[in-house]
This record gives sequence, structure tokens and C-alpha cells, in this order.
Amino acid sequence: MAAIEFAEETRQQAERIGSADIVIGLAGSASADELRTRAAQIVPQLGPNFASLRIVVAWPSPGAESAGASPDLNGSNLPTFFPFTPQAGSSGDFWAPVSAHQRAVLALAASLNARICIVLGPDLAALDAHTIQLFAYAVLERQCGLVMPIYSPGKYDALINTGILSPLHRALYGKRIRFPLAFDFAVSGSVCSRLAGIAASNHNSNALLWPVTVAATDTSPIAVGQIHLDAHHQAAAGGLDLSAVLSQLAGSLFQEMDACAAHWQRIRGSQPSPIWGNAPTDAADGQPIDSRPMLDSFVLGSKNLDEVWRLVLPPNTLLELRRLTRLPPEQFLMPDELWAGIVYDFALAWRLRTISRAHLLGALTPLYLGWVASWVGEVSSLTRAAAEQRFEKLAHAWEDRKPYLLSRWRWPDRFNP
Amino acid sequence: MWDQVKQSLFGSMGRAMESLARLLPGILAFIVALLLFLFIGWVLAWFVRRVLMALHFDERMSHGANTIAEWSPRLTPSQLVGRVVFWCFFTAGVMVGVSAFEAGSSENIVSGWILGYVPHIIGAAILLLAGNVLARYVSRSVLIAGVNLNLSYARLLSIGVRWMILVLTGAMVLDHLNLGSNIVELGFGILFGGIVLALALAVGLGSRDLVSRSLEREASRAIEEQQQPERIHHF
Repeated sequence: MAAIEFAEETRQQAERIGSADIVIGLAGSASADELRTRAAQIVPQLGPNFASLRIVVAWPSPGAESAGASPDLNGSNLPTFFPFTPQAGSSGDFWAPVSAHQRAVLALAASLNARICIVLGPDLAALDAHTIQLFAYAVLERQCGLVMPIYSPGKYDALINTGILSPLHRALYGKRIRFPLAFDFAVSGSVCSRLAGIAASNHNSNALLWPVTVAATDTSPIAVGQIHLDAHHQAAAGGLDLSAVLSQLAGSLFQEMDACAAHWQRIRGSQPSPIWGNAPTDAADGQPIDSRPMLDSFVLGSKNLDEVWRLVLPPNTLLELRRLTRLPPEQFLMPDELWAGIVYDFALAWRLRTISRAHLLGALTPLYLGWVASWVGEVSSLTRAAAEQRFEKLAHAWEDRKPYLLSRWRWPDRFNP
Repeated sequence: MWDQVKQSLFGSMGRAMESLARLLPGILAFIVALLLFLFIGWVLAWFVRRVLMALHFDERMSHGANTIAEWSPRLTPSQLVGRVVFWCFFTAGVMVGVSAFEAGSSENIVSGWILGYVPHIIGAAILLLAGNVLARYVSRSVLIAGVNLNLSYARLLSIGVRWMILVLTGAMVLDHLNLGSNIVELGFGILFGGIVLALALAVGLGSRDLVSRSLEREASRAIEEQQQPERIHHF
């Protein structure tokens, strides 16, 4: 497997450090002073189990200072701080640099022979003692190779994940992971090098890192767990509009789908993964949201993009969409099976290159906004827990629709709109 | 007198048959040369496709944005290269066939004219193909971007862009073929300018209400978003 190439000074610093038990890495640049202060406060709070463990905190820093241990205060075991030079290819839009930094942290952890690597978001929202304890417990005590977070977003948050990433990932790879693409996750030492190596061998340096896909498709089974994480990240879209964000995320997932077709075609249903930590208490819900702007976007798309959708979607789906455009806003409801079928058809069109991939993903945006309008209408009267139950129903519908995807994937010529 | 008429008729028929007989070897040589080059072109195109597939040419060309596959999604890059090879040999076959016709029939005028004009035809065909591909790609890009920006006149913009590119392409093709010359230039200028003027009038005057409503909607949405922070977070 190809290895990630680091700058000479980073390699020298890694050699000076030698090895570590726990590597905590950030998937982006952060304020060094704040990071040092927070880490120095948190590590002593981890408890006696961590007293004998060697902890390294790494983060990308363009003007990398030299690594070194923080002064030993009151005899407590404080971490070693390791700012490293970001690699080429860690620029880009939205999630691409996050993935690049995650890969770099994993490669560093592998070079330091770490027993566990914890990757966190650069905003330090998840950097607290409880999170590190939970991750370490899941990996070191419960032998999980990969531990993903379960955030506690609001009903109207993380909708791309709720509507596309999570149910599609679950239907394909059979693992009930709520957030397959996350700022924060932890991997065991053996999985570090596999994740970093697989990512490095990908010729496209802008490809996103999907840890659960790697875990699900690896030749030797990797146990995947989840922990409840009370952290609220705000993904900086950097001025990108929804269409660009959706294109990057959905496009990357379709790319993975194409590359791992031999694996997910054999999987049926899904299995729950162990979850640790306490789910947050159900917060009070806000006022309902007006879904009319999203509905308007969907109707506009239906009127203008029919010639594009006709190349991707089957006739009965198009009829159903036309029927939906005639419904009044209060009755607008996109069935789960219809939405799952639409995304499957787009994934197939991606593979077959029915139209330009950039156009394909751009044409998905009005459909996604139609689903959002439907979802917002449904969950506005539900509590957050009830909305999660509603998501479970959505995910089951995606799994039930998988045979449709399989038949179209294997025999695309049987139906060609 | 009738004998003389008969003599003239038979004489002219004989001369016509003689001319045809003189042309026949050339025509046969043209057909044989064309068929031979078609066969060679087909074999080489197949071979080139196989070699490119073995070299993973399609995967290499599909990395990054704005690749060949984006412009012609139905044909893989290796298929495109194969087709180019085939049509190159077809063109070569036509030119060799014309030379063979010239050698076989001793007719220099036709072959000279055809050989001189073939490069223009090839150039015009390439221009036409490129213009059509560009028009389709750009118009669809404008349509999708316009819809995602909630522009109600996105389709109008897309059609206008497509026709502008097609008109420009048509004018360039005719100019390349040396057809029409001044008339084509004048016609193109009037038509192209007319399309641009029509679009400008449609946006500025004819669709004034539509555009102003659309802009007002966008502006009020922006103000509402400033007054009420965005409550939906897609990611």
C-alpha cells in the first residue's frame, strides 16, 4: 500500500517522539495556544487508567513549530504536542481538506505505532475528557476497530446525512451507523495503517475518507461501535452553496459505491452496532419551519429539469414526482420508497455516466429539497426522539428497496429510460 | 439523311460508353481503396481500444473535474479514441480512393478539386461536432445552475445560450466551407445580434415584471434570512 509522504521535519519530529499509546489528532488547523491549554487541562482528568499511557496531540500547522512535551506540572502525565506540516492536497472545498487531515493524522498514528488514534474536529468541540474516555474504552476495552460518533443534532440539522448519507450507507454496507461521515472518530492501531494506506493509494487526492466503508469492505472483519457525543460542529461551507456541498458528498459516496460494488451487493439487511455513552435528554423543540421555499425549489426543478430527470429516472417515478408538484404544501409528502428509489437511480446514472456527472449531481439538488420539505413537514410535530424513530423507518425503507438497486445495477440494459 | 442521323447517334453513344469505360476502372479502384481502408481502420480501432483498456486509460482520464467523460458521457475515452482512429482511416481511404480514381481514369480536374476541398470538409465536420457538444453541455449547465439559483427564467437563459452557440457554430462552419461568404457573415451578424438583443429586451423589458418579482423574492428571502437565522442545517 502506498504511504502518505510527510515533510522532512514532520518525519524527524515523529522519529524524535518514537512511539505513543494514544494519538489525538485534529482534522484541521487550530489555535495552538487554546489546544495546548485545553489538552493540558483534560489529560489529567482522564483518570488513573491513562496515567501510564503516552499521549500525543497532533494537528496540522502550516508554520509548524517544533514538537515537544509540555512542562510537567504537579507530576501529572501531560501530552506531547506535535504540530505537523500539512501535506499537498489538503486544500480544496468543504470536506476535502477535512478528509486529507484525517488521513494525515491516521498515518502519523500508524508511524508512531499508536494503540488508538482519536481524530477530532478542529473546532475542539469534542475535545473533552469524557469523549476521550469513551473512545478509549470502546477501542481498548471492547476491542472495536472503529468507533463512530452519534451526535445529537436538532430535527432540522444534518439533513444531508439523514436523507442520503446515513440510510444509503446503511443499506449498502449493512451497518447501522448514524453518522458515517464525521469529524470525530477513533480507530485501533491496526486499522490506522489500513485506513491511511487505502486512502493514500487512491489517485484522487480530493477523495473523501469513509471509515465505515473501509471497515465494512476490509478482508478481515473490523468491529464497529458508536458512542454518544455531545458536541455540535458547524461544518464551514466556505461560501459554497447547497448544490456544491451536496455534489461533493453524494458524489463521493457514489464513487465509493462504484468502487466497492463487489462487497455491498452481497450484503442483505443491516446489523446494529454496540453503542456506549448516554444519549442526550430530549431538548425542547423550536417552532415549525416554513417549507415553502424548499417546495418552490422542487416545483421549479420539476418544471425545468424534466429533460434531465427523464434521462435518469424511470417513468413511474417521474409520474409520481409530477403528482407531488400538484399537492398543496400542507399535504406534500414524499414517500420513503420513492426517495430511496430516486437516489438509487442517481447512483446508477453516476456509474453508467448517463449524463455528465456534474450535471447529474446538480440535478439532484431540487429533488433533495423536495425531500427536505417533506421531512420538515413530517417531523415538525414530533419530538427529537420521535424524529429518530422516523429516521429508522426511513432507513428500513431504503433497505427494503435495495433489491431494486441490485437488479438495475446488474442488468442496466433491461431498463433504460 | 437518316443514315447520317443514325451515324451521329451511334457515334455519340459509342463515345459516351467509351468515357464510362474509361471511368469505370477509376471508380472500382476508389471503391476497393475505400473498403480496404475501412477494414484497416476497423481493425486498428479495435486494437487501439484494447490497448487503451489494458492501460486503464478510462480510469486515468476520469480523474478530476472537466474530463473528457464530462463532455461526452455516453462514450468512454477509449471508445472516443477508437472512433477517431476509425474516421481518420476512413478519410485517408477517401483520399487514396480519389487518387486511385484519378490514376485509373486520367481525370485530373475532379480529383484535384476533391482533394483540395476535403480538408475543409473535415474541419467543418469537426467544428460542427464540437459546436454541438459545447452547446448541449453549456446550455444544460446554465439550466441546472439557474434552477438551483431559483431563477424562474432559467430555461429561457438556457435556450438562448444554446442557440447563440449553435448560430456561431453554423457561421463558422459555412465560413470554413467557403460557402456564402459575405451573405453568411451578414446573416450571422444580424441573427446573433438579434438573439442577444431579444434576450436583453426579454430580460430588461418584456420579462421585467417576472424578473423584478423573482429578484424581489430573492431579496426578501435574504432579508428574512438576516432577520431569522437559518434554522435548517443541511450538514
